[in-house]
Amino acid sequence: MHAINKVAVGFDGSNDSRAALHWAASLAVATHASLKVVHAVGLLEHAGLSGHATPHQDVALKTAIGAGMDRSAVEWLVLDGDPCSALLRMNEAPYSVDLIVVGTRGSGEHSGSLLGSTSRELVEHSSIPVVIVPPQSSRN
Amino acid sequence: MLIVAGPSGANAHDGGAFHPEQQGRIFSVMDGVRDLNLEDGINYVDSPEADLEALTRVHSTKYLDELESFCRLGGGDIDPDTYARSDSFAAARRAAGAGLASIRALELQGDGVAFLPVRPPGHHAEADRAMGFCLLNNVAVSAAALAAGGQRVLIVDWDVHHGNGTQSIFWDDPRVLYVSTHQWPLFPGTGRAQEVGGPNAAGLTVNIPLPRGATGDIVQCALEEVAHPVIDRFAPDWILVSCGFDAHRADPLGELALSTGDFAQLARLVRSFASRPGRLALFLEGGYSARALRSSTAAVLGTLLDLEVDLEPPTSGGPGRDAVASAQSARGWAVAGLGLQ
Repeated sequence: MHAINKVAVGFDGSNDSRAALHWAASLAVATHASLKVVHAVGLLEHAGLSGHATPHQDVALKTAIGAGMDRSAVEWLVLDGDPCSALLRMNEAPYSVDLIVVGTRGSGEHSGSLLGSTSRELVEHSSIPVVIVPPQSSRN
Repeated sequence: MLIVAGPSGANAHDGGAFHPEQQGRIFSVMDGVRDLNLEDGINYVDSPEADLEALTRVHSTKYLDELESFCRLGGGDIDPDTYARSDSFAAARRAAGAGLASIRALELQGDGVAFLPVRPPGHHAEADRAMGFCLLNNVAVSAAALAAGGQRVLIVDWDVHHGNGTQSIFWDDPRVLYVSTHQWPLFPGTGRAQEVGGPNAAGLTVNIPLPRGATGDIVQCALEEVAHPVIDRFAPDWILVSCGFDAHRADPLGELALSTGDFAQLARLVRSFASRPGRLALFLEGGYSARALRSSTAAVLGTLLDLEVDLEPPTSGGPGRDAVASAQSARGWAVAGLGLQ
């Protein structure tokens, strides 16, 4: 089995993504891996018409450190693209992560709809393992 | 003669007043068409919905079924950028159908140029994924239909964003040459010069990523120096343009610095790639400044119809000359690498 040295987790500020980040950070602590927290910037956010990465960064770093991570092992990345495409690129150089972690549903995704589901699209297209974290795991 | 192909009547695909991809964009480009005072010189072609045979050349049946079902249930937000409403699937099928209708009209007419003021736009839509405001890939549906009929198709994409969907759909298809100039880095994050196509179509994807602030002379240089030799070798029968106007300097979503004079020059250059008259169709993609949409539409169509139009002066002196050289070099290495596989 391939060692887990680098973990990427998608983060958009949603409750599901916080649960995923907490789980990913806990795993990274247990396996001594580094953690890359990925925030995808779409057309509207780039134009300042929705959201903004900076407040998400603060929350993400606090969550990771709260799960026991050393700050130096956490990298905050803002990448252009939709969440799925941005996370799929984490498998490529220079990132070359070993595992991708996401929440069940991202911001704006609909319960019961598979269309636009980042987690499903990742599972379909990723060539490295993907972990989908249910929201309940944030209680652990 | 100008062919204008698009859905007639209201388009219920609407993301609300604050979403930049809205029906007002069509009103703006149609104002640009009217500014040309063509009167009887326009052949308006209505567009029926693209049929499933045409759509499944590009999109998976599974995706089409999901999108239709999603809309039937009332729709919603597909991702932070992209929405669908109850009528969006039908609207997207009509937008894709406009391309097919314009091709038929051009074949009948034998000359002229077709313009498709359609929405939702298409070039970000992948075979099985909506994104970037796009549901169905309009230009790809037309290109695939032409390719199925034995035609060689050039797609020139001058939208400020890379057309990831179009690229991925024709990645390994030797019948279609895809050329894109775009701002980079920027959404969707694809479109590096090293992305040159699959093993069966090595070199038939041409990406020329340009830095923020690049001016018209740089885009012109990119197409002439990097793309033109590839286009000459490919010898296309048809030219389809992913005609976004968000590379205009007034656009709120992009940061390139083009003027209407630049778009006119680009149109002239792209027309020179055509093997014969009547084989050029322009599909509206992005563009979110009402003023720039109107004036750029008039600039491009007026130029293609050899009319006198008011133009902003062409721009020059912006950054990006080195990016064009780098793209040329990176492409060469990438294509050579595929040849060694």
